[in-house]
Amino acid sequence: MSLFDKFRPLAETRAGLGNSGPAPIATPIDRVLSATRGVIDGKEVILAGTNNYLGLTFEPSVIAAASQALAELGTGTTGSRMANGSYADHRALESELAAAFGWPSAMVFSTGYQANLGVLSGLVSEGEYLLVDSDSHASIYDGCRLSKAQTIRFRHNDPDNLDRRLARLGEDAKKALVVVEGLYSMLGDQPPLAEFVEVKNRHGAWLLVDEAHSFGVFGERGLGLTEQAGLLDEVDFVVGTFSKSLAGIGGFCVSPHAELELLRLASRPYIFTASPSPAVIAATRRALTLLIEGQDLRDSLHRNINHLYREVKAMGHELGSADPGPVMAIILPDRATALAHWRGLLERGVYANLMIPPATPAGLNLLRISLSAAHSEDDINQIVTALQSLRETIPLAATA
Amino acid sequence: MSDVRREVEAAVAAALAEALPELGPLDPDAALTGDLGLDSVQIMNLVMEIEDNLDLSVPVDILAEVRTLNQLTAQLVHLKEKQA
Repeated sequence: MSLFDKFRPLAETRAGLGNSGPAPIATPIDRVLSATRGVIDGKEVILAGTNNYLGLTFEPSVIAAASQALAELGTGTTGSRMANGSYADHRALESELAAAFGWPSAMVFSTGYQANLGVLSGLVSEGEYLLVDSDSHASIYDGCRLSKAQTIRFRHNDPDNLDRRLARLGEDAKKALVVVEGLYSMLGDQPPLAEFVEVKNRHGAWLLVDEAHSFGVFGERGLGLTEQAGLLDEVDFVVGTFSKSLAGIGGFCVSPHAELELLRLASRPYIFTASPSPAVIAATRRALTLLIEGQDLRDSLHRNINHLYREVKAMGHELGSADPGPVMAIILPDRATALAHWRGLLERGVYANLMIPPATPAGLNLLRISLSAAHSEDDINQIVTALQSLRETIPLAATA
Repeated sequence: MSDVRREVEAAVAAALAEALPELGPLDPDAALTGDLGLDSVQIMNLVMEIEDNLDLSVPVDILAEVRTLNQLTAQLVHLKEKQA
């Protein structure tokens, strides 16, 4: 009997993915060359499996801001925001995030995962309710577990199902926080946000939108699906991350409720974590400016998205979402076929993501391609050529 | 057997028949993961089907304590009676 026995099924799953060539899970990247190029297994490849949607990781002014902060303020804060880790730049970034939304309050967290953990567990407590979409990210589920509130799931992207669950709560629906995402990272699909807003308003519930994958991508100023849908006046909290469009690491929550400030006193994941390093904060502040002003970046990203969707749809692939977005999930019939596509793409110079159960909804096996504003038209053409070649050589009937 | 228990058992059986059509007669002590071979996502989907059938919301933390069909049924009966 060992503490590690319970991990055996995971080890078997990993072993089942084969050991010839680079591992499809936690793939070792030897070196990153640019926002869209890296070296894997000694070979230069197009990176089409990152979350670098605006391609800002190598943007010179972002790097310069980080370098200057590193030199002037040191490598780390060595403490939490509640103690010695609340620098002027942390507070400035919070002010800039709040101003972008036109709201009074914003909080910065050390990771996007901790933003959900800290907000959900701190905000919603015993005798209250969390109603979460069944396809929610692990950080949302873990935030629910840390909260003492009762957590109830509703069917993915199904406002009617949420409606029935809120109705069952009766008057208690006013103590319920509904949680949805602006873009679901496995299938790349988006929620019917206006319908969710109508349902939560009718029941007097609260609404949080996690814009982790949609921040920077949608909306005139890149604030996410909520902005694009014209619903900024209808939501209570927006959570996001710095590790995707903002090209760094960290997370945030913004709210039209000034009382969000009180969460600083109650959120354990916020209180008991060292604050983000000065270089991270400085890079994020610069990236946020570029994001808000970055309609040209969004134009490039959406041009790439539309190009790839058009071509892949023409190949007859089943996709996770009919709505084009920065995440394209190609649904494949089984794990062996998905793995063959992943390896085939890598052999053809394209790194994407293999996504398999239990990480995926409905037991789906997915090849996930993520796009960037920094991809060139030639990059997209190369991805299309590689997928077309695989379409012609790997049958989509089960190969296992 | 109470009407609630009958209703719950019927809903569980219907959801299982849809999730695992090849499954034979149900052993009430069958473990959801070990014996029935369901993974965590499949269990969540199974419970969603049952919730819809019974017009019931099952708190997620309750599922963490459920190992067998019997335990699942008992929890559902308890929630359904509380709802009434």
